Amino acid sequence: MTGDSLLTLDQVAVGYGRHAVLSDVNLTLPRGSFSGLLGANGSGKSTLIKSILGILPPLTGRVEFASEAGRAPALGYVPQRDVFDPVYLLSSFEVVLMGTCGRVRPGRRIDAAEKEWARQCLREAGAEQLSEQMFAQLSGGQKQRVLIARALATKPDFLLLDEPTAGIDATARQSIMDVLREIHARQRLTILMASHDLLVVRTYVEHVIWLHQGRIQQGPVSQLLTPANIEEILDLEMH
Amino acid sequence: MRMEMWREILDPDFLLRNSVYMSVLVGLACPLVGTYLLLRRLIFMGVALPHISSCGIAFAFAFHTWGLIPHMEEGEHTLALAGSTIFTLGAILGFSWFEKRGRSLIEASIGTAYVLAGAWSILLLVKNPHGEHGLLDRLKGEIIAVSNASLGWTFVVFAIVALTFFIFQKEFLLVSFDRETAVTLKKNVDFWNTFLFLLIGLTISVSVLSVGPLVTFGFLLLPPLIAHGFASNMRQFIWGATAIGGVSALVGFYIAYRWDLPVGPTDVALLGVVYVLSTIVNRSIALRPATAHKSSP
Repeated sequence: MTGDSLLTLDQVAVGYGRHAVLSDVNLTLPRGSFSGLLGANGSGKSTLIKSILGILPPLTGRVEFASEAGRAPALGYVPQRDVFDPVYLLSSFEVVLMGTCGRVRPGRRIDAAEKEWARQCLREAGAEQLSEQMFAQLSGGQKQRVLIARALATKPDFLLLDEPTAGIDATARQSIMDVLREIHARQRLTILMASHDLLVVRTYVEHVIWLHQGRIQQGPVSQLLTPANIEEILDLEMH
Repeated sequence: MRMEMWREILDPDFLLRNSVYMSVLVGLACPLVGTYLLLRRLIFMGVALPHISSCGIAFAFAFHTWGLIPHMEEGEHTLALAGSTIFTLGAILGFSWFEKRGRSLIEASIGTAYVLAGAWSILLLVKNPHGEHGLLDRLKGEIIAVSNASLGWTFVVFAIVALTFFIFQKEFLLVSFDRETAVTLKKNVDFWNTFLFLLIGLTISVSVLSVGPLVTFGFLLLPPLIAHGFASNMRQFIWGATAIGGVSALVGFYIAYRWDLPVGPTDVALLGVVYVLSTIVNRSIALRPATAHKSSP
């Protein structure tokens, strides 16, 4: 683990069953950075995010977090919004409250302070007015705001987002990214965002981790997203 | 409805009072756990488990007849409870293991278990003259002879299940709604899933023992389906399903008693009618112009 890095991946292979989607992954993530995990559909972005979060154990290698004030860092996760079944009759507020469950012991009620914190997170994500609306009935962009609020409700040291702007219109996309930029600027939260949207990554993030043909390149946006590389990415998307 | 007949049914000295109480208990408990089967899209499990439970009862009677299980005082009920519980909990642990490994696998395993349980129940029934009478009654959903002990046990088990659901609702909902986030919140998802399935299995095995597989499945599925159409939050959904189940069990008993019908199938048929009517009402509400039924400003 290097001096000021929050996350280190050492010789990591990720995948499903025995099938490795990505192998020999070595990377470090600076504390307080806003990084974009860029790659075409199927390049392994979501798989890598899930392995970092512990949802999908890595096939080989080590995923190591630096401690935060002597404890493991709290992780906030914004999954892809289409994974949620509309059969659940949950309000946006109830979805955000789930983010506090990590601090509430099993069988205990969620107290007033946690509820107030959840409301504050909704405000920060610009979703306060959605609080009482059914989560399943929200638009794509509204759902993302609520999911960001839920991730903030975990009081995270590290926020991981899986394709937060996929399938939503340009206005909603910009407003979600503005919310993330504000949160990052205000809290200096370490953020890792998987996206295949080159424009979003180039406009909003500081560091890029580029998954390309099973290899990983990492660096500042200005160095990595050169005209030649962009041409290659666009060419990949065309094909 | 005849008021005298209602008074008779609800009288504490009514000859079939235990059957009334048992019907209502099953009507309250099965929809409570059925809501989670509906939420987790495991309706097929709701069909299979009662049959697996019946198969467990058939095996227990068969083992007893073949001399593999010694004779017990209090015999039949204990035997049936053991068979039902062992088979249901075993199946549910197996299903929860399969669920972790993918949806297609669990659907195939539930389907296989369902068809095998049905086949074995019939084979054992045909070859077991001692168990035939009791098991046939259960399969038909006759809820006539209910002992005080059986009623007491059922009440205790269902009360524990309901209380556990109430206490751990937050955890059950989290692991059901978003398993991945539950993992990131350091929740032991496997434990909570298995715990949830065990509660469902326990409710089903006790229910099948009391009222048979048909009625159990009817109460697992139909009240949650009806309640989901009208509920606007999870609390309304869960408690609405429970209330619909309880009231339907009572009204079903009245109809069965009034027209001399078997109680279980009457309950299920009544729930079916309510479901159809509720669907028609829901559709007609949905077809109305948007402004006509929007209550929020």
